Amino acid sequence: MDFLDYAQMTTGQKVAYNIKSFFTGIPGAIANFFKAIGRFFKALFTLIGNGFKGYGSRFIKGDIGTKLSYVIMGAGSMIHGQIGKGLCFLVSEIAYIYFMITFGINFLLKIYSTGVYVDENTLVDGVIGKEPPNYELDPIFGARTVTNLDTLDDSNKILLFFVLTVLVSVAFFAVYITNTKSAYASQLIKAEGSKPVGFIAEMKMFLDERFHVTLLIIPVLGLLTFTVLPILYTIFMAFTNYDKAHQPPGNMYWWVGFQNFADVFYSSQLKSQTFGKILVWTIIWAFFATFTNFIFGIILALLINKKDIKFKGFWRTMFVVTAAVPQFVTLLIMKLLLADAGPVNSVITGMGLSAVPFLTDGMHARITVIVVNMWVGIPYTMLISSGLLMNIPEDLYESARIDGANAFQQFTKITFPYIFFVMTPYLITTFVGNINNFNVIYFLTGGGPSPADYYQAGQTDLLVTWLYKLTINSKDYNLAAVIGIIVFVICAIGSLITFNMSKASKNEEEFS
Amino acid sequence: MVTKTKRVLAVILTGMMAATALAGCTQTTKTESGSGTGTASTASTADGGESKSEGDGGSGSTVDVYSDEMTANIKAKMKEEAAANGGTIELKVWCASADLKFEKTLIEEFKELYKSDDGSYEFKIRSSGAIGEPDAGGKIVESPKDGADVFNFADDQLSTLVEAKAIAPVIELFNSNVKANNTKETVDACTIDGTAYAFPKTSDNGYFLYYDKRVFKDDSAVASLDDMIKTAKDAGKNVYFNLGNAWYNAAFYFSAGVTIKYENGKQTTTFNTDEGLNAAKAMCHVAENAGAGFTGSDGGSGDNTAVEKGFNDGTLAAAVIGTWEGPAIKKAIGEENVGAAKLPTALIGDKQVQLESFGGYKLIGVNQFTKFPVTSQALAYYLGNTQSQLKRYAERGLIPTSNEALSDTKVQADPAKKAIEDQTPFSHGQGSSVSGKYWSTNVGGFGGEIVTKKGAFTDDQLKDSLAKIQEQIDT
Amino acid sequence: MTNTSTSTMQSGYAAKKKAVNTLVYVILAIMVIIWIAPIVWLVLASFSGDGASTGIIPKSFTLDNYIRLFVEHDPNTGEVIPMSEMRFPYLQWILNTFIVAVLSCVISTLLILMVSYAFSRLRFKTRKTFLNLGLILGMFPGFMSMAATYNIMEIFGLKQQLFALVIVYSAGAGLGYQVAKGFFDTIPRSLDEAAKIDGATRNQIFWIIILPLSKPIIVYTALTTFIGPWADYIFVSYFMKDNESAYTIALGLYKMLSNETFSEYFTVFCAGAVLIAIPITILFVIMQRFYVAGVTGGAVKG
Repeated sequence: MDFLDYAQMTTGQKVAYNIKSFFTGIPGAIANFFKAIGRFFKALFTLIGNGFKGYGSRFIKGDIGTKLSYVIMGAGSMIHGQIGKGLCFLVSEIAYIYFMITFGINFLLKIYSTGVYVDENTLVDGVIGKEPPNYELDPIFGARTVTNLDTLDDSNKILLFFVLTVLVSVAFFAVYITNTKSAYASQLIKAEGSKPVGFIAEMKMFLDERFHVTLLIIPVLGLLTFTVLPILYTIFMAFTNYDKAHQPPGNMYWWVGFQNFADVFYSSQLKSQTFGKILVWTIIWAFFATFTNFIFGIILALLINKKDIKFKGFWRTMFVVTAAVPQFVTLLIMKLLLADAGPVNSVITGMGLSAVPFLTDGMHARITVIVVNMWVGIPYTMLISSGLLMNIPEDLYESARIDGANAFQQFTKITFPYIFFVMTPYLITTFVGNINNFNVIYFLTGGGPSPADYYQAGQTDLLVTWLYKLTINSKDYNLAAVIGIIVFVICAIGSLITFNMSKASKNEEEFS
Repeated sequence: MVTKTKRVLAVILTGMMAATALAGCTQTTKTESGSGTGTASTASTADGGESKSEGDGGSGSTVDVYSDEMTANIKAKMKEEAAANGGTIELKVWCASADLKFEKTLIEEFKELYKSDDGSYEFKIRSSGAIGEPDAGGKIVESPKDGADVFNFADDQLSTLVEAKAIAPVIELFNSNVKANNTKETVDACTIDGTAYAFPKTSDNGYFLYYDKRVFKDDSAVASLDDMIKTAKDAGKNVYFNLGNAWYNAAFYFSAGVTIKYENGKQTTTFNTDEGLNAAKAMCHVAENAGAGFTGSDGGSGDNTAVEKGFNDGTLAAAVIGTWEGPAIKKAIGEENVGAAKLPTALIGDKQVQLESFGGYKLIGVNQFTKFPVTSQALAYYLGNTQSQLKRYAERGLIPTSNEALSDTKVQADPAKKAIEDQTPFSHGQGSSVSGKYWSTNVGGFGGEIVTKKGAFTDDQLKDSLAKIQEQIDT
Repeated sequence: MTNTSTSTMQSGYAAKKKAVNTLVYVILAIMVIIWIAPIVWLVLASFSGDGASTGIIPKSFTLDNYIRLFVEHDPNTGEVIPMSEMRFPYLQWILNTFIVAVLSCVISTLLILMVSYAFSRLRFKTRKTFLNLGLILGMFPGFMSMAATYNIMEIFGLKQQLFALVIVYSAGAGLGYQVAKGFFDTIPRSLDEAAKIDGATRNQIFWIIILPLSKPIIVYTALTTFIGPWADYIFVSYFMKDNESAYTIALGLYKMLSNETFSEYFTVFCAGAVLIAIPITILFVIMQRFYVAGVTGGAVKG
């Protein structure tokens, strides 16, 4: 189905079509999600497989230099005349060995116990546990002091450095394979009788044929260190008992398998019910927050861009101003305005009506956050759709007018479908963004009100604000990690559904 | 044979007594760390029983901390600690931002007192008001090594700090003095399972009743909550009692006879009982008047703002709140119109029952992971001693905890001090009542819900919520 | 006859049109009032002399709130307190935020342009894998691994330092390549081809041909990355803890509203908020056409 087929439907049909394809898309998207994971790992393993491919045969076919480079990296390159390159390999090998001996190996060995003080005499629930050994007495004061902080094991450090060591090892392994390949390649070139590319020439390639490496190396390193490493570390956390009672350095934590997932899904009634309720509300919120902004933003853009309306710049600027003031300011102001005894309620009570619990009653608060979110978000949608409205081909309207379509019909038949069609990718990002919309909820209601049957949460809490509260307030780091993983899965599935519905993904396929 | 054993026993006992006087709690603390993780072996449990009695025995004798000899001892220790850090003692102190200026003057005094005689060490003490008393415990636990060496905190966080082993037990030298100088309730508030972990500073982190004398003529007018609400309503005003906050609404649970106890690292509560139901129903009864004689929520702006605003615009006639709002209320309605009293009675079950409360204290703690354990404790002790408490009262109006400071005539004349004293028999220490979990459970949220719905709940709904609360706290 | 009927028809049409337009004006006016009212209240409160009990319209006005942002007097001696000793060193926070914003704006913009150019114009074996990986990483909630990142900063010795914030805001910037990539995709590839024939390296093509054509997307990226640090609260509050001298404006202002200081500092908060809102608003209003061009050119066309 392309845009024309779609555009010819009536509004009702379109809405029905979109809703239908959203829901019929769910099973497919979930399947796709797992397929995508499968594909990802397949690609990953192919990549690794490609690395191994020829690993053995290269060794057999290799000359002494190539063979030597299997043990002493860079030896092959150097023997074949690529001194600079060979030196680089050699240095990386020495650096890696040094790193492992002084640092890495320690954490690979400790990871099983994640810093539990090992003392065979104290076994609780089959888990080894022991108090810190290095408290000592002072003869005059009787002080209990920790003598040397650095000797204290710390589960956090062990886990983090373990992940770091693994990442470094993976990177080193890639370099190692490249080293063998490069040695073999230079051997072949030499066998042909020509000279392998010099160091300078090879470096020059990074500005042309291998320009992508130059461009990507810094961003990728940044991502590995400050995004991938922390995420992996946090994922591991979901399988430990890192909670209030097990906080390093005072107390250690250890592995508990899938216990936390079980808690969230079924085994702890309170946690699983809280999760269920928050999940449902998160999706309802994301849906309304996205579509109210979208629809009303377009309408506002249309009003402002209506042909005979004057002072377009003025109107637009007025709305843009509210979008430009930092969100935490406007949201805190909204919170104060809407407080039970705030200015808005004093106006309401002044008119003889009873005060409205905008933020203190569950249902009211939910409506309030959606409405305030409109206030926050509509200017953005207005700005963007203003830009798009100008792109709609004028002849579409002309022919519609000739066919006798009135303004409303023009909107439902042309404008809205066009914008909806073009903005689908934007809508996806907004939807995912709303699932993760921390600010509006946190600054406005703080997640409240909080009835007794919510664990560490309230009725307007989203999964992400719950995650934040679990981390900051109740220190349930392990549960927070589980929630983080779940949010990831939801976002991935949601995006896949919508991507499948939109043409954008196909374009990307065609493009690449 | 028998006599010989007896003699040996006597020698051992004497030795133990002597050791206790000097080394005090050391044994106990060692056991604490074991039981905290729930990993204590049978051997160390036996130790615990023994050492507890030792700890109690040690409180009798005190050594003057500021005697020349002790000062020299402490200075020697400071020198030692400084030497490990290149000759400087670097400390970080956290206190309430409003108190920062005042605390800095005390810190200067401390530096002068313990100045190195031979210039072998120097102090570098940074004080910060960024982490206030309500948050200090949580932030210390979050990453103890980044936390302050000495920090001020509210006593409700003590259990969390001890569980996380982030707070250092008080050195026996200081502890014996703290015990001797401060009221028993205060000392109890610093103690968990027989070990003292903090230095008391002020005794006013609890709540009582502030009222407008123009509306409530005398003490009998503020005796019962129901009467107060009626009187306030007739005057077109409200009584403020934040039921949406677990700290305040605990008054109803305590008074109804609900057990809220925290002992030996274990929280026990009886929310899900008839007493709990009575308490919830009593709150519902009060909340029926919400908006007409009664305000049960801060409306999201925080207690301080709500109270201040209420007295400023004349919508409040009385408020259940603490000393920190005293100055603001005085400013709003004039000092001569401000009255203070213990909490009123409330209708619980079918009787009028005196409302009980959390008796709160502000404490000073020392980070377990400080590089300067003795210096930090000396500083904490200095900040909490009688002289400092009196200065704090004069500068900041905060009610002391030391027996001597409390008997000061100025302190004696303070109406808030009397209200706190009257409330004390009906108050519960936070450290011995609740663990950190209590605060993060929705006890407050449930109270807030009662207020929003103006108490329109069936018994079954209340029971259901109470069961959930109980489950959350006990897990 | 025909003439008159057309003219009545026309005037009927005009009247109707006029009515519709009036209606649109009324709707717009009402909406503007709703949207602007809270901002106006913020501005009014910033001049209010009533402290925390400011109603809809303040009873008294003063400039004190603005002065108190920059100058604090010792209540006893009346002396001016130096900035490092101030309870809320507003100017320091602005400076901090500005430094962080400028640095992370420069770094992020560079990274985003590099990544999106590589993905859009260059073809290499691992491209698809990287694209997917980027998509996957982008779906983890941003602050899920906050605690871990903090520990990593400790390794680098950047604990509680401003530069740690710069890294947090810009190290992951590469993931935000979609919009810019969408934009690069719209630049005709024939340009590249022509340059390649002329012997230009891909490096030269990037700098000499593509970047000059990408002004809207550069401005858009720079703008969004510059504004980010002014509004972030979560990371600053977790990373800076008690190091007040390294707070940024969002955290600092938020601290003013803590329970302890709310009543005393509420109107000062409003003044502080107004002061930072002014430059950002001006920037935003001037840049809005780039913003629109950036989003519509990149995100929307995908």
